[in-house]
Amino acid sequence: MDDTKPLINKAMPDDARGWAENQLCDGETVLFAVVGDLSLFEKYAASTLLITSRRAVIVDENHENGFFSAAFSDIEKVSVKRMYGNARMNFTMKSGEEVTVFRYTYAVADLCDVAAAFIEAVGRGEDQGAQMEIVASAYEKKMRVCPKCGRTLLRPGAECIKCQSKGKIVSKLLKYVKPQFPLLLTALLMSMASTALALLPPSLTQRLVDDVLPNGKMQSLVTIVLMLFGSYVIGTLLNGFRNFILRISGDRIVRYLRNDVYEKAQHLPMKFYDKTSTGSVINRISGDTNTLQAFMLRISQEIVVQAFMLVGIIIIMFIKDWKLSLLALCPVPLVVLGAKYFSRRIAPFYRRIWKRWAAVSSVLTDTIPCVRVVKSFAGEERAANKFKKYNDEWYKVDTSSAKITSTFPAVVSFVVTCGSLLIWGVGGSWVIKGTGGLTPGLLVAFLSYVSMFYGPVNFFAYLSDSYQGALASAERVLDILDAEPEPDFGKGNCPDKIEGKIEFRNVNFSFDRAKKTLSDINLTIEPGDIVGIVGTTGSGKSTLINLLMRFYDNYEGEILLDGQNIKDIDMAYYRSKIGYVQQEPMMFSDTIFNNIAYGVPDAHVEQVINAADVANAHDFIILQPDGYDSMLGERGVGLSGGERQRISIARAVLKNPSILVFDEATASVDSETENQIQEAIERLISGRTTLMIAHRLSTLRKANKIVVVDKGRIIECGTHDELMELKGKFYRLIQIQSMSEQVSKQKAEENFE
Amino acid sequence: MNDRLYINADEARITYRGFAHVDLEMYDGRRFEDLEPRRLFPLSGLTKYITLLDRDMKEVALIRDLAAILPESREAVEKCLDEYYMIPKITEILERKEKNGLLKYRVMTNYGERAFDVRNRHSDIKNLYDGRVLFRDSDDNRYEIPDVTKLDKKSWMKINIDL
Repeated sequence: MDDTKPLINKAMPDDARGWAENQLCDGETVLFAVVGDLSLFEKYAASTLLITSRRAVIVDENHENGFFSAAFSDIEKVSVKRMYGNARMNFTMKSGEEVTVFRYTYAVADLCDVAAAFIEAVGRGEDQGAQMEIVASAYEKKMRVCPKCGRTLLRPGAECIKCQSKGKIVSKLLKYVKPQFPLLLTALLMSMASTALALLPPSLTQRLVDDVLPNGKMQSLVTIVLMLFGSYVIGTLLNGFRNFILRISGDRIVRYLRNDVYEKAQHLPMKFYDKTSTGSVINRISGDTNTLQAFMLRISQEIVVQAFMLVGIIIIMFIKDWKLSLLALCPVPLVVLGAKYFSRRIAPFYRRIWKRWAAVSSVLTDTIPCVRVVKSFAGEERAANKFKKYNDEWYKVDTSSAKITSTFPAVVSFVVTCGSLLIWGVGGSWVIKGTGGLTPGLLVAFLSYVSMFYGPVNFFAYLSDSYQGALASAERVLDILDAEPEPDFGKGNCPDKIEGKIEFRNVNFSFDRAKKTLSDINLTIEPGDIVGIVGTTGSGKSTLINLLMRFYDNYEGEILLDGQNIKDIDMAYYRSKIGYVQQEPMMFSDTIFNNIAYGVPDAHVEQVINAADVANAHDFIILQPDGYDSMLGERGVGLSGGERQRISIARAVLKNPSILVFDEATASVDSETENQIQEAIERLISGRTTLMIAHRLSTLRKANKIVVVDKGRIIECGTHDELMELKGKFYRLIQIQSMSEQVSKQKAEENFE
Repeated sequence: MNDRLYINADEARITYRGFAHVDLEMYDGRRFEDLEPRRLFPLSGLTKYITLLDRDMKEVALIRDLAAILPESREAVEKCLDEYYMIPKITEILERKEKNGLLKYRVMTNYGERAFDVRNRHSDIKNLYDGRVLFRDSDDNRYEIPDVTKLDKKSWMKINIDL
């Protein structure tokens, strides 16, 4: 960072520059500036927040004299209010007056947050230099975006994956075609040979009509028929074998492409899935890759063959009769112009059809796996109606595109037929009049060539159609292939031993820029600590765990494990050291054994059995008819909630993790099952750093530290007794819960009596 | 759970307090100050179910329908909502181009001219069934075309490809 130049997010507007040049006092310097984009009264306009070494100045034409200035020492509090699509900064002055001083969109909201913290900190008398370091890091983060496309880069100055691999779509996909070159080349040579063979029959027909039949040459007839037969046999063999080779190479292309897309999808960060429906991702992996395969084969094969055929026919036609050839070419400009128009019209339809189809797929992926929920809420009809609605939307768009896709071929076919009629009319009259040496055989042969000639013309006219479809597919597939994967800065850094000390330092996080989910999180967890995290729904408990699991990395501040930033540790290694048990355990469509061994695929049978035993799962597994070989469905069909939970605990046990995370692991089970699970958890956690999110506060009886989270902040932290003594939020939660437990108990007793 | 305080018609008087806040006085004399109106359905119900939140972000009352309350009260609430929700209405598409996988738009809105980038046309541009089109730009700002069918032909040609 250049110390003499103020930090700024973009070019300073004239009025702010004018202020900085004329109004600064002696020895006062501008430290940083935030150039905003809204005026105080909601119009897009450049306004500027200038932070000097002494004061905060806002240059906005709506302030009196065009600016507002306040010394740090006069400001009591700076608050930032994030609204919907815009935010404002308020100063509460020491006099008690509250003033809205700056208004901006989310484009500069992060910088304004930092500026607000800076003003308050310096106002409190904290060291300006130290605060400037925080500001500088925020500016640096802001610059961590690609200047070309605006994507967040892996690190400041890193090359943008998207722009780096921009290139042409075809050249990107060529990577998948290249390994198939030998096969494709063979297929291409075969195609050219069969095309050349296809050009032979019309010439032989001409001889038959003009020479052999009128002169009764029997021997020649047999020879020509045999030649025709031979050409058909060889052509059929060539085409059959070529199709076989093409199928193989096509399948290989789509296999590699699909593998890559799926693998990439596994490594995409959670924020990608927050914004993209799973249906849309599945559609890209299954449908779009097929479309691309078809297109790649078209490009690598048919274009060459059709071009070869087109040129070959034109040459033969011109050799046979140049005047008729010119006539045959008459409809071509019409077909080409039509194709161009058609391509422009059809492009938006492909995108729209895909969008509608993705919506249909989303309904499928949402409702079919959740069929139990649908049925239990009698939602079959609603689900069917929703599906019908989306399907109807798809139908509407698809049928509108069908109007264009069906009209164009009909028009082309009509124009082409007219071209043939022209040849019949003009050529026929020349044969009758005997002009130009045109014989009936030559005319018949010429007409065969003309019909063959329109084949490639049609092909190239329709190429734009499949090109547009493939372009839309390529765009979506490349959206996954080019997406930034989860950053793994510490790849290869696998510490020998994990003690389990966890520290959150000044952590702030928001999913979108509208609302901060976590603010100022500072927490130290010692190795072996059992920490309970409590709070009301939506307070930020699970988000805290999500950050620890590195599902989201775009937070401010640091999370340390044994003194090392978790971002600097190899991600796979790091996650392998954490056992994570969720509220709703997911089961894969596999055996119970493989479900337990998911994290340690090469685990010994006895290790798996021991893990199941520790998790109190062994006893019910052995009662299953197929024991450990029992197949489980997507959500563990056939097992109760508690049983699924115990399998997921066994999964965690087998990993032998240094850190354990339980995200409301007993929230959805009855008291008896809860006891069994609790027993399993207690066995598992001994000696391990454990974080437990719990709704039922009774499950935290073993915790030696309890953290209370509220509205994204840690509001209380201490032992159970300390917090009870504090009589704060935790105390109230305990009161409320014991009251409701008492009521339920009373009700149960009344019913029993 | 407390009974929710609904405001249906003229049983409440709402006055503008300043920057996105109002005061509420019920016909029975109860007074609530410094409340922030927010939409419960910012996309699908612009004038229905407006909640009034106190400084602790706890709901104090819920307006069922803005159209049914006193005109002065409605004006006060609408003013606050306009301040809080900034969804510029796009009146004209001046330019649209695709660069490096980004859609770059330059548009005219009721807030003035604006240029913004859309990262993903599939997830960041939503066309609703009533003709409205919603945009989310790369900074999470929102924009709206109130009725896409009413755009001029040139604008329509530019936007058509992304819908």
